Amino acid sequence: MQVMPFWGCMIPLKYPQMESAVRYSLTKLEIELVDDSRFSCCPDPIYFKAGDKMRWFTLAARNIAIAEERGLDIITMCSGCTATLCEVNHHLKHDEKLRDKINENLKSIGREYKGSIRVRHLVTMLRDDVGLEKIADSVKYRLENIKIAIHYGCHLLKPSEIMNVEDPLVPKILAELIRVTGATPVNHQEYLMCCGKACQEQQLSLNMSHAVFQSVADSEADCLGLICPTCFDSFDLGQLRVNRNFSKKFEIPVIYYFQLLALAQGASLENVGIKFHKIMPEEFIKRLNTTLVTA
Amino acid sequence: MKKINYEFREKLNQTLGGFSHNYCYQCGACVADCPAHRFLPEFNPRAIILQALYGFEEELIGPDSMIWNCTNCYNCYERCPQAVNPIEVIIALKNMCREKGTNPPSVDNIIERVKSSGVTVTKTELVKRRRQELGLPEFEINCSDDLEKIFNK
Ligand code: SF4
Ligand code: SF4
Repeated sequence: MQVMPFWGCMIPLKYPQMESAVRYSLTKLEIELVDDSRFSCCPDPIYFKAGDKMRWFTLAARNIAIAEERGLDIITMCSGCTATLCEVNHHLKHDEKLRDKINENLKSIGREYKGSIRVRHLVTMLRDDVGLEKIADSVKYRLENIKIAIHYGCHLLKPSEIMNVEDPLVPKILAELIRVTGATPVNHQEYLMCCGKACQEQQLSLNMSHAVFQSVADSEADCLGLICPTCFDSFDLGQLRVNRNFSKKFEIPVIYYFQLLALAQGASLENVGIKFHKIMPEEFIKRLNTTLVTA
Repeated sequence: MKKINYEFREKLNQTLGGFSHNYCYQCGACVADCPAHRFLPEFNPRAIILQALYGFEEELIGPDSMIWNCTNCYNCYERCPQAVNPIEVIIALKNMCREKGTNPPSVDNIIERVKSSGVTVTKTELVKRRRQELGLPEFEINCSDDLEKIFNK
């Protein structure tokens, strides 16, 4: 199976350990990644969309058109890229007038949006096209004693009429994907909370992340698991800010789902760049190591 | 007494994503699950849509507008029984701010970065080294010709 990875900006240029983990995992699942250096930023669904929505549509349509030329579906590894590319793909597929307008803008660069491919977050593609069973088969070391608090983030599931993944009030997809690695997904009070990244008022962002940290700390989880580099930013680096602001001592390791999957498939801690995380308590590394060795 | 500003409403109607504010019947379903409202009670999507219905320009797109505290979570989009899509109305209003020059600098910064480099994150030596250490190829971005044309249009 071939797909085009849309890495976006944050993963390749800030958190390359996520890219490394995804590449490892997908090799194990026999999915071939067809890279293309012509992609630009998705562009950003918060600030760019808030400032210049027409160009936001045009640049996103350009990215999709590049994949269309190759006849391949796009997978996204960042919820922000998912938001932009899925939304634009949806509207341009359904709104002919808007599509004509955007194609008029694309004419100057000799491209055209046709509406011939799908865009999905990688987790959705794995669930729907690869299947949980095949992922389970690729697991070498089951992460039996790791408990993971899930953070869904906002843009994998919402708006649901566009994303079409599942009911955003009772999502299961990440719990299912965690279970196949042998780890245990843990419910916590604020698992549907936003990471807060987009608010203008800093204190508001900190309050939102703080609510999540408190909720994870109150649960039995060993770490916080997620699928978006922006959420990761809020919770890894952001944990230092929250600790300062609230005089707290949270020390919750934050893990990108594909780091977990890659570890379960046989990757080393070095392969998935664990040492690049700001918050990574010794105790958690020990726990991971015993899991990987005793298995 | 303040009067309804129909001119402003008409402008909002013409802005991509802005028209649906007309469907709002002020039920408040969008408020309960709004995380920005939970931590900052003055922020209220129902009240923002009401201001849009009145056409209160200064409150909505003036330099002190509340709308920039929306966290883009889409809960209001999910809850609204009238398909108002409050978040999209807020984004339409944000676009009107930019036209007026009242947006926060972060918006211009991000657009400027994409315009000049194609991405929002600066390439650093540190990450370059990390990529090498992880055995990843150099991250190339070849979109500047296209982007220049799109931005200069
Ligand atoms: S839920 Fe919809 S109709 Fe109800 S107040 Fe909010 S925007 Fe208006
Ligand atoms: S998108 Fe904005 S207004 Fe809507 S619920 Fe989320 S924070 Fe509130």
